[in-house]
Amino acid sequence: MAAPNKNLRNFCIIAHIDHGKSTIADRIMELTGQVSKRDMEEQLLDSMDIERERGITIKLAPVRMYYTALDGEEYELNLIDTPGHVDFTYEVSRSLAACEGALLVVDATQGVEAQTLANVYLALENNLEIVPVINKIDLASARIEETKAEIEDVIGLDASAAPCVSAKEGTNIRDILEAVVKFVPPPEGDTEAPLQALIFDSYYDNYKGVILFVRIKNGTVKVGDMVKTFLSERTYEVTEVGAFAPRLQPKDILSAGEVGYIAASIKSIEDVAVGDTVTGALRPAPEPLPGYKNVRPVVFCGIYPLDGSKFLDLKEAILKLKLNDASLTFEPDNSVALGFGFRCGFLGLLHMEIVQERIEREFNLDIITTAPSVSYLVHKTNGEEFFVDNPTHLPAAPEIEWMEEPIVKAEIYSPPDYLGSIMDLCQDKRGVFKDMTYLDSRRVKLEYRLPLNEIVYDFFDELKSRTKGYASFDYEIAGYERAKLVRLDILLNGEICDALSLIVHESRAYPRGRTLCENLRDAIPRQLFEVPVQAAVGGKIIARETVKAVRKDVLAKCYGGDITRKKKLLEKQKEGKKRMRKIGTVEVPSEVFMQILKTNKD
Amino acid sequence: MSGIYAHIPFCKQKCTYCDFTSFPNKLNFAEAYMACLYREVKERGRMLAKKKFDTVYIGGGTPSIIDPKYILGLMNAIRGAFRLSPDAEVTIEMNPGTVTAEKLAIYKKAGINRFSVGLQTAVDGQLRELGRIHSAEDFVTCARLLKGENFSADVMLGLKGQTKEDVKKTIDLAAKCGANHISMYALTPEVGTPIYTDYLNGELPDEDEVADLYDFGRGELLKRGYMRYEVSNFTKPGYGSRHNLNYWRRGEYIGLGVSASSFIDGSRFTNTFDLDEYMKCILSGYFPVVETEQVSGEDAKFEFIMLALRTAFGVSAKEYRRQFGTDWKEDFAEAYERTKEYLEEQGDITRIKDEYLFVQNHILTEYMN
Repeated sequence: MAAPNKNLRNFCIIAHIDHGKSTIADRIMELTGQVSKRDMEEQLLDSMDIERERGITIKLAPVRMYYTALDGEEYELNLIDTPGHVDFTYEVSRSLAACEGALLVVDATQGVEAQTLANVYLALENNLEIVPVINKIDLASARIEETKAEIEDVIGLDASAAPCVSAKEGTNIRDILEAVVKFVPPPEGDTEAPLQALIFDSYYDNYKGVILFVRIKNGTVKVGDMVKTFLSERTYEVTEVGAFAPRLQPKDILSAGEVGYIAASIKSIEDVAVGDTVTGALRPAPEPLPGYKNVRPVVFCGIYPLDGSKFLDLKEAILKLKLNDASLTFEPDNSVALGFGFRCGFLGLLHMEIVQERIEREFNLDIITTAPSVSYLVHKTNGEEFFVDNPTHLPAAPEIEWMEEPIVKAEIYSPPDYLGSIMDLCQDKRGVFKDMTYLDSRRVKLEYRLPLNEIVYDFFDELKSRTKGYASFDYEIAGYERAKLVRLDILLNGEICDALSLIVHESRAYPRGRTLCENLRDAIPRQLFEVPVQAAVGGKIIARETVKAVRKDVLAKCYGGDITRKKKLLEKQKEGKKRMRKIGTVEVPSEVFMQILKTNKD
Repeated sequence: MSGIYAHIPFCKQKCTYCDFTSFPNKLNFAEAYMACLYREVKERGRMLAKKKFDTVYIGGGTPSIIDPKYILGLMNAIRGAFRLSPDAEVTIEMNPGTVTAEKLAIYKKAGINRFSVGLQTAVDGQLRELGRIHSAEDFVTCARLLKGENFSADVMLGLKGQTKEDVKKTIDLAAKCGANHISMYALTPEVGTPIYTDYLNGELPDEDEVADLYDFGRGELLKRGYMRYEVSNFTKPGYGSRHNLNYWRRGEYIGLGVSASSFIDGSRFTNTFDLDEYMKCILSGYFPVVETEQVSGEDAKFEFIMLALRTAFGVSAKEYRRQFGTDWKEDFAEAYERTKEYLEEQGDITRIKDEYLFVQNHILTEYMN
């Protein structure tokens, strides 16, 4: 038995969104000389365009650094930056499994927040040593002592030795590294045992095939080794191993305790699953490492290629994203209106938005997405019960005995000034009041039970607009409850458009049908004929609007010099048409399928 | 059939809707410009010596604003350089505020036999709003001078505050004054023109209101014996513009002068829009062409359809076969199938039903790839 390098520290940073996680990671890298100040881009580890634009971390990102501590020894540090938003908890949990310690960053002006706690619990589940760090001490409103007290009271961690830093100004960053060296234990494991490497992430590289991000728990792996995973029996020859610097940097060998990557010319994306264990093909470990809990998606939508012939490209894109985003689920789907596509499941609305955006940007595909829905439990009169997340798969009303819908436990934090309008909103959304707590004179916590299908609609936008952006909101799934639900169908020119069907609460059917018809009337361009837009429940029309026929669409003058111009004009119009889908005889712009969800006023 | 277009880029003041190449208050350049134009006429005539031409159209700007001797000179140059048929249709555009008996006498001497007069509206307030330099009364005077001549009046729809009553008044005036051809255009607010601001501010009639005015105007014209033969053009029997019909039949034409466009031997090309550059090129012995597009194959076929469907004469299967050697309904089988309900047939002719002529872009896009 040989123990791993005792000067190795694997740690991650956890925090509530906006508490300064990525900036701290930047400063640590700067201090260890991992990147020079000159090369420093803001939030270096947030490498995706979407991350930089939105100022959030979506993906975990590992980096290796060397640090000479005050005790004179050199340490190898592996830092894994993680997302803060609740939708990406699954990403967080995977990085945690690769570490021995976690820095818990708390904003000295905000104190402990909902997501701080959620991440702490995750870290504790993974037996990590938690090192609190107080950030933003440069701000005038920083309340350092109160924040320390809150960490001790609310979380129960000793914060007396917590480094107090300003990541923005680079104050006291060295204290963080000293704390990591001192408090985070070195990894355990046996470098001589059979290889066991936990896959905590992966992505597809066009030249090297699938790149596996691994934490070596036992054994070693080097170029030329034959390896396999437990889920697929295929054997691969390792072509490269290395560390994250933060870009891939090849090295000779990865040993127990280390974090790094393995490339083995894996071309088949289906062969790899995050959470699986890599082992030696010749000397396999007897059993895999414990993987991750399989997460259950809570929000669903259909994704279709705008150009029907691009279905295979879409499939390829989703498979590649799945490599990199293990929480994404999908299955092939077929819509009368939109053709072949996928029904995808997400951990939340932000997750859904990000995946849609990544497909469009990283794979350069134009897609149509349908309204988000949730998964309902259907009890049929014949005793069968099953989950339905696609409105078109809902059985006819007479076959349904009753249905259940997912309910969330929502926590809303807000200054007291907006309580009234938040309560109105929750009432509108069929919410049930549970509790109200004054956290201090400026902050109130409201607890509600809310149906998830009301939240995926427009809850978040409404909450933000009613509170001028001051309220924040977190939710967790709290089981299923019986509810009277119906399918709302939309008819365009007399034909049902399946891609626009929704499952809604009975009491919401009429107002939502009316709003939908109004929105569609405005969103569908005028055609050569009049298009009736109708909403129906169980075959009964409950609302109707009309898209009037186009009256004028002509270039008035077309003489010598106008002919080329006229052609260009028509080409432009034709381009616009190509971005539309034909539903029966009606041309519908692809954005409609999402945008119709934006409510005006019910 | 082939046509000659000559552009006179001068006017007294810009109309608020105008995005044509026209320079107000640059009349002092007329002498130099016309000298260059004559030279271009000569060079192009030499190049196209083998082709026969049947129509001339002198447009602008306001061609009637320059000294009529230049128009006489231009026509002499054209007749000297091109093979122009003796019974050619020769049109000049005129602003009613610029016409005198003397000018008309010289135009007639130059062989001009068709006059296109910009009336636009009979409501003086609206004329002022458009930046026109004439009144409705000026039009009456002009028409009196044109008595017995073949003349056309331009009428505009979609003006700020325009009512059906206004349209009726305008059509009445043009008809009573003896116009045997009326062009009725819907105002197009072009980016960069003063009227575009009105459009952005929502001060112009909207799409539906313009369509109402158009339907109404069309009815009024039909009542007075003007037949529609193109989207915006109406005529008493026998007075359709041959020059313009040539455009829609995809005939050849040579454009002379600044900003003028040509279509010769399958090639579309356009002269520079810059007056200075135009003159410098001509003086240095170059054609001032800035854009050229060779139109062939599918493109040419689509153009044929697009242009023919503007007119009441529609697509002639025979003519299409003569030009391309194929059957148009086979070449555009899918598009034809999809748009059939908006078309009507008469012998080998297919045209857009009258009520859909004003929404033809919707139909034409089906014929594009």
